[in-house]
Amino acid sequence: MTKWGMVIDLEKCTGCQACTTACAMENNRLPGENWQDVLFYHEGTYPNVNLSWLPRPCMHCENPSCVAVCPTKATWKTEDGVVLVDWNKCIGCKYCMIACPYGVRFYMDEKATIEPDTRAAFPGDGTRSWNPPYRMPDAMEDPSKGIGIQPHGVVSKCTFCYHKISKAPKGVADLDEANPATREHTPACVRTCAPKARYFGDLDNPESRVSQLIADKGGVRLKEETGNKPQVYYLSGGGAPVVPGQRSNKKA
Amino acid sequence: MDDQNLSTTRRRFLQTTGATGALAATATTVGLPLGDDTAQAQGAASGATKITKSICHQCPARCGIDVYTTNGRVHAIYGSPNHPIANGKLCPKGPLGIYVLYDPDRWKSPMKRTNPKKGRNEDPKFVPISWDEALQTVADRLNTLRDKGESHRFSLCFGRGWGASCAGLLGTFGDLYGSPNVPIGHSSMCSDGSILSKQCTDGNASYSAYDYRNCNYLLMFGASFLEAFRPYNNNMQVWGYIRGEKTPKTRVTAVDVHLNTTLAAADRGLLIKPGTDGALALAIAHVILTEGLWERSFVGDFKDGVNRFKAGQTVDPASFEEKWVKGLAEWWNIELKDRTPKWAEGITSIREHNILATAREFGSTRPAIALFERGAHAHSNGIMNGMAIHTLNALVGSLYAKGGLMYQMGPSYGAMPVDEKAYMDDYAQNGAWKKQPRIDLKGHVDGYLLAKNMLQEVGPNHLKGKPYKLDTVMFYLTNPIFTAPNGQQWEEALKDVFVIDTSPFPSETGHFADLILPDHTYLERLQDAPTYPFQGWPMAQLRVPAIKPLYDTKYFGDTLIEIGKRIKGKTGEYYKALGNTENVIRHLAKGFEKDPGDNGVNSFESWVEQGVWYKKPYLWQQIGGDFFEWDGKAYAKPMSADDVKAKLFKTPSGKFEIRSGYLEKNIDWVAEKTGRDKARLMFPVWEEPKHPGGGDLYLVSPKTAMHAEGRGANIPMAIAHQQPVVGGRKQVFVEINPVTAKARGISDGDVVKIKSAAGQIEVRCRLYEGTRPDTLVLPMEYGHWAGGRWSKNVFGGHCGHATVNQSDRVTGQCNYYTTKVTVERA
Repeated sequence: MTKWGMVIDLEKCTGCQACTTACAMENNRLPGENWQDVLFYHEGTYPNVNLSWLPRPCMHCENPSCVAVCPTKATWKTEDGVVLVDWNKCIGCKYCMIACPYGVRFYMDEKATIEPDTRAAFPGDGTRSWNPPYRMPDAMEDPSKGIGIQPHGVVSKCTFCYHKISKAPKGVADLDEANPATREHTPACVRTCAPKARYFGDLDNPESRVSQLIADKGGVRLKEETGNKPQVYYLSGGGAPVVPGQRSNKKA
Repeated sequence: MDDQNLSTTRRRFLQTTGATGALAATATTVGLPLGDDTAQAQGAASGATKITKSICHQCPARCGIDVYTTNGRVHAIYGSPNHPIANGKLCPKGPLGIYVLYDPDRWKSPMKRTNPKKGRNEDPKFVPISWDEALQTVADRLNTLRDKGESHRFSLCFGRGWGASCAGLLGTFGDLYGSPNVPIGHSSMCSDGSILSKQCTDGNASYSAYDYRNCNYLLMFGASFLEAFRPYNNNMQVWGYIRGEKTPKTRVTAVDVHLNTTLAAADRGLLIKPGTDGALALAIAHVILTEGLWERSFVGDFKDGVNRFKAGQTVDPASFEEKWVKGLAEWWNIELKDRTPKWAEGITSIREHNILATAREFGSTRPAIALFERGAHAHSNGIMNGMAIHTLNALVGSLYAKGGLMYQMGPSYGAMPVDEKAYMDDYAQNGAWKKQPRIDLKGHVDGYLLAKNMLQEVGPNHLKGKPYKLDTVMFYLTNPIFTAPNGQQWEEALKDVFVIDTSPFPSETGHFADLILPDHTYLERLQDAPTYPFQGWPMAQLRVPAIKPLYDTKYFGDTLIEIGKRIKGKTGEYYKALGNTENVIRHLAKGFEKDPGDNGVNSFESWVEQGVWYKKPYLWQQIGGDFFEWDGKAYAKPMSADDVKAKLFKTPSGKFEIRSGYLEKNIDWVAEKTGRDKARLMFPVWEEPKHPGGGDLYLVSPKTAMHAEGRGANIPMAIAHQQPVVGGRKQVFVEINPVTAKARGISDGDVVKIKSAAGQIEVRCRLYEGTRPDTLVLPMEYGHWAGGRWSKNVFGGHCGHATVNQSDRVTGQCNYYTTKVTVERA
């Protein structure tokens, strides 16, 4: 069975945020409501300062705490390993937002990050809570999977661009933007990433690029201690010597 | 009434569309692989998805884009897989282009001002007018001026020109109509310091093209390679390759005044005192010579092979046999022998051991590239800094080498449809305008003799009436009230001149306009654009409309042609013969019939389909100190010295001139205007920069990844990610070192006042250990007081209001990063 997963090579990432904006436009997100984001950190004292960053999508955990706490079963895990929200079932209680260790879930009706509120500039029409003129084609929208312009009062999150990946040819190991056959099925963040720091494919397929990279370059998952077992892995150099406890590539 | 809240007159476009409307239909229709849902999708939405090959507009790079349109709605932009710059990828600005199209604050038709008073707080009271009235108004003014023999008092200033069908039309308009001020470009407010530095040393007045993929060492001075350096998208593709895949991994040293993502991602980040990059380059050159690391096959050597470059000691120039450089030993004697790393530490504040390590790495790793842009040369000593850095490329033999740098070839365009020479009337050839200087005093002994443009002087000179007052000024893709240093002067200047703005969007300059002739946004345009310097081989992109114009707007090139048609006499005849921009572009494409591109583009139609014509390889290469031309299979045809001079080193000597023949030719003027020593001014030498402003801290205003040359200012999504390094997610911050802040009682997040002789602004601060204690860093983006609703709502003043209008006298480069300011809590 396919288990979609992502590998992000931190040696290549330039922190440019193209993943963030490509995601936002593909998925019609509100400004500042970043299903996909890059987090910046700095520490040290001038002139010895370290600036670093971490690109962060939803981890689409193997064992997602958001699914466990959802009282209406609105948050669910697909057979191919993706965590989605069914907007028809979501009651907006936000338990999942508290349970998620990675802070990657968003409630629709928060105060706008950017004023004036873009929702006021492009007001909604009944079921859609807002209606940007550039929204995705109607045929792609699927509220049962949290895809498209959401209604009021629900939680939303990264879908791994499920409207794209779910139409991929069956059995492929990699969803690679360089391959014309899979380009349109590659998540927006992966497809756009200029330094090619992102890879997407089937974690259960030993022939997939993601499986190979995780092994060859020592893929790491965030917050292993939670037991969530993310399906997003990070690479940071690939050398064998590491600080103990900072590396795990155990699969579930 | 707000500038932008005017009623839509969408219907009117039907009367004016024509060419582009027909074209939109020719874009390729590609059915998305919708799998099982195809039938259902089509049933529900009926529309197939159309992919139009176009090019981005949000920086100069010209990335190919695939624009996805379904049911008349543009809903996605991805990089074109078949485009050599984009390669299917985009920078963070690229996907946001859709916002530009659907910006609710766009101008929706031509308009005229009805409030004669102009000022920041004056409502222009724009009212919609027809295109015919708008164009005739302009033509009447221009005809009257010409009749009076005052055609020089019309100026057309432009910023981001794209190709032959827009900016390329301007020079002809100036020649036929008769104005030295058509056009005035913005290059002096861009990066002319770099262009002049190259012209003075290797004879090419151009930005460089780079072969990064084969380069093993990158030394970067202030170009913000991973934030803003063109072509940003491709730079990042290169970065992923040279840092993550290539063997050997390319080593990188980056120099700037604050810790940005480029320095953070580099192997070594050097935080340098503003304006002193030239001193660092001189010290690196010093080490390369004393340690014998120079590339002998390119530079030459001592006749007996014994290195006599010893710190503090002169050499006999006759003992050194120069190959492709001129003036190395003289330079050593006159300057370099004393420019030790220890000396440079005192100037730059970079530790001696770091300079030494950088020099040794750069000098011993081939191929290596030293690149620089505005941070290094936007100072009074810019020409010196630029020449010093560029000379490093000569010392390690990188010019025209594999993995080095070269210059960009132009595309095989066909001839224009009409030859303008047949339409030059007596006034055009001999009119009084011929004796008038340019308003900006570019090319004038009293102004900037060697500069390419001096847009930053147009406003101030008009204000002073020196050399004269303008009557009418038209702007294309530039907003100088905002972008010029000390824009307050421009606010005064544009009060008593008839202003025409052609931007699709409201802006500060538009707020002072008498007429608005709005351009299409880029997803609605048919527009050619030869590549910016990229990898040397020629390329020409085509912007193809993805959608019919949403409003009653007109492509700027056609606006100009329509004005031209209304000019009396032969000028009008020329423009009637020229027709429209589509006719121009069709004629350009005829050149591809004889010279098809590598992707098979050989006609207008195939150009529209693919969006790009290109032809590899670059025709010349320097290999081990010898130059070769491509013979069809390899760089195997040896080039003579004359060949090299004609095609590659376009200097008086035909060599890379460390002793600049171009500066020597103008030695009296340079010496008089700069006070420089005639024995030294033609060499890259150290000179302390002049820092105006009267404060104690340098104000530096870089661009961020989202800056987009200001075209992202009203994009909410761009505002949300404006300055992520220091947490600027809905505003810009001035970065201030904690020590500097503490000494002034400033805390993180305070609103601070920044003052200089030019003016004062207020902006929120962020304490950041990555910024030099002697420097404030405030990205140049916000502080808009006119413009769209989101751009005006971002808190914080505009850095330009505290930036003094000072330029490098030789290059004309606007010194954006050199003003000294004070800071205090507001």
